[in-house]
Amino acid sequence: MNRRRIPEGFPWVLPSLLVLLALSIYPLIYSVKLAAADRGNFTRLFTDRLFLTASIQTIVLTIAALAIEFFLGLALALLVDSLARGRMFFRTALLIPMLLPPVVAAVAWRLIYNPQFGVLNGTLRWLGFHTAHLTWTSGESSALASVILVDVWEWTPFLFLLLSAGLQAIPPEPLEAARVDGAGAWRIFRDVTLPLLKPTIVLALLLRAMDLVRIFDQIFILTQGGPGTATETVSLYIYRTAFRFSNFGYAAAMSFVLLAATMLFSRGLLRAMRAR
Amino acid sequence: MRNVALALFLAAFLLSCSGTPQRSLTIAVNAGVEGTALKAAARQWGQANHARIEVVELPYANLFEKEQLDLTSRTGAYDVIMLDDPWFPRMAADLARLPRDPDSDFVSTCLEVCRHPYKTGAYLALPYVGNAQLFFYRKDLFEKYRLGAPKTWDDVLVAAKKIGEGEKIYGYVMRAAPGNAVVADFMPLLWAFGGGVMEGNRAICNSPPAVEALRFMLELGKYSPPGYAGFNADEVSAHLLQGTAAMSINWPAWIAAMDDPAKSKVVGKIEFSQMPGERDPGVGELGAWLVAVPAGSKHAADAFEFIYWATEPAQMKQAALRGNPPTRRSIFQSPDLIAKFRSYPAQLASLESARPRPRTAEWNEIENSFGIYLSKANDGAMDPRAALNAAADSIQKILERNESATHP
Repeated sequence: MNRRRIPEGFPWVLPSLLVLLALSIYPLIYSVKLAAADRGNFTRLFTDRLFLTASIQTIVLTIAALAIEFFLGLALALLVDSLARGRMFFRTALLIPMLLPPVVAAVAWRLIYNPQFGVLNGTLRWLGFHTAHLTWTSGESSALASVILVDVWEWTPFLFLLLSAGLQAIPPEPLEAARVDGAGAWRIFRDVTLPLLKPTIVLALLLRAMDLVRIFDQIFILTQGGPGTATETVSLYIYRTAFRFSNFGYAAAMSFVLLAATMLFSRGLLRAMRAR
Repeated sequence: MRNVALALFLAAFLLSCSGTPQRSLTIAVNAGVEGTALKAAARQWGQANHARIEVVELPYANLFEKEQLDLTSRTGAYDVIMLDDPWFPRMAADLARLPRDPDSDFVSTCLEVCRHPYKTGAYLALPYVGNAQLFFYRKDLFEKYRLGAPKTWDDVLVAAKKIGEGEKIYGYVMRAAPGNAVVADFMPLLWAFGGGVMEGNRAICNSPPAVEALRFMLELGKYSPPGYAGFNADEVSAHLLQGTAAMSINWPAWIAAMDDPAKSKVVGKIEFSQMPGERDPGVGELGAWLVAVPAGSKHAADAFEFIYWATEPAQMKQAALRGNPPTRRSIFQSPDLIAKFRSYPAQLASLESARPRPRTAEWNEIENSFGIYLSKANDGAMDPRAALNAAADSIQKILERNESATHP
């Protein structure tokens, strides 16, 4: 009788496999079951104006914050990389915002943004600006921009760190060859540095984009999605639906849409970067 | 010899196993002043009864999640839970019925929210913290401008204008961040103007009195600090404590801070009163904390013994001294406590007339939806009528989806 042999290492990986199944696979299957229990959960997504508003705002926030953080991070990485002295100091100093827990950063910014007692308006008043109508997170038109600013402040260092490491990893020979051939600084950056940095850029953008789509803690503390729905994002809405309204099925359905959108976005980004 | 020793050891082990099992209680409390008092009471009860007490202290939002999960899945993780009264209709089906009715010393508005259905059903909880909104105003400035205590919302508006112009401070301050914040500040106005959120299974928050109440709120907003559409309780209280605003709706939890020289620039200057009225008498929102035993508790008998003990007059007095507003009339009227807490007469009057939020299991979702549109109106993004029409539309959808609403 031809019995199939169990691979030799299987008993050793079994405990890890069981933990993985219990903590990742089972909850995923359970949430599919929850979402599919009522077909209305998926049809409601198309008529729910709040979900639509939250989705649009999540996209706007992700694209805006990602673009700003990427360009700032790249500029800072290039600047610090070109320094002859003090590289370590600037690298450490620039990482400080990222080291703060997001909740702490959000609480600090909430105090900074306070229209009457905050340090931001206080400084502007001291400089002679009229601040009566600068309401930052409390204004319908300024709230989303204020949230983006906090995210840029906290997470630009992350992109700076990755891009800086990418720049360090570029071998010096191609750069020297380009210089010998008479290429200028812009030409070297466009034709040598940027193509060699591309794998790092893709990784950095992917990681950051996935994190931005899930943004929760900063908004929860800064604005709670307001004023009105000015800063409502999908994750905030999912949290409320699941844990405040106890509608786990609908929350699970929204989570799957968010997951699918994130996967599509990541795939699109990868394709776009490969195509160039 | 070795066998004898082994036999003795086994006998001792079996004896210890067959003895009376140790009593134990797991209690879920709110991480805040309300929870601190219950936590201290639990420790005291545990020592007196040789019971092992485990206190799970959670922030407000997490407390609801954890309790709700435990109740619906009947895991028996908690033997006693502390719950905010608007959560009660959602949790009622999974709470154990009290073995005996509470006594009549409790303020009736607090007792009514412990029954399911509201006012008429069986008792499923006991009231522990007697929170009801109060009206805070600067007595010194009212005297300076020869204004009587505000009895109506029109009085409030007149005073806000006069004090605001005369003192160069904000005449009024309110919170209009979406969700609970703006709804809590709007409800007393809505009720005073004769409006409501829902009637049975029908949303009525766009009725003419409701539109008038929201217009009045925006009028008051002209005397509030810019950006109030994003304010929560801490911003409102900061303005009162710093002396940059003259009036607001607030909760008893902030009373102590007003008279604390380390936090306040207006010590002794703030007066606390019942909510102003308009067409109808003034009523504040009720926000009582209740204690209850989950149906899935594995130590229900001990849990009931503890909650009855913790809400007895002697224990409630201890909780009051730790900063909790009581739910018993006798504690509010105790002369030594009135001497210590000058706001007690106003708090009792406010608690006796307070109104709970509509008794529906869907209140969290309704409040969220209502709050979004109220916040938009306060921010100037929507006209009051359009905002209330949109809110009514949204609330109606929630009600139709769930069909479980009852009206207080």
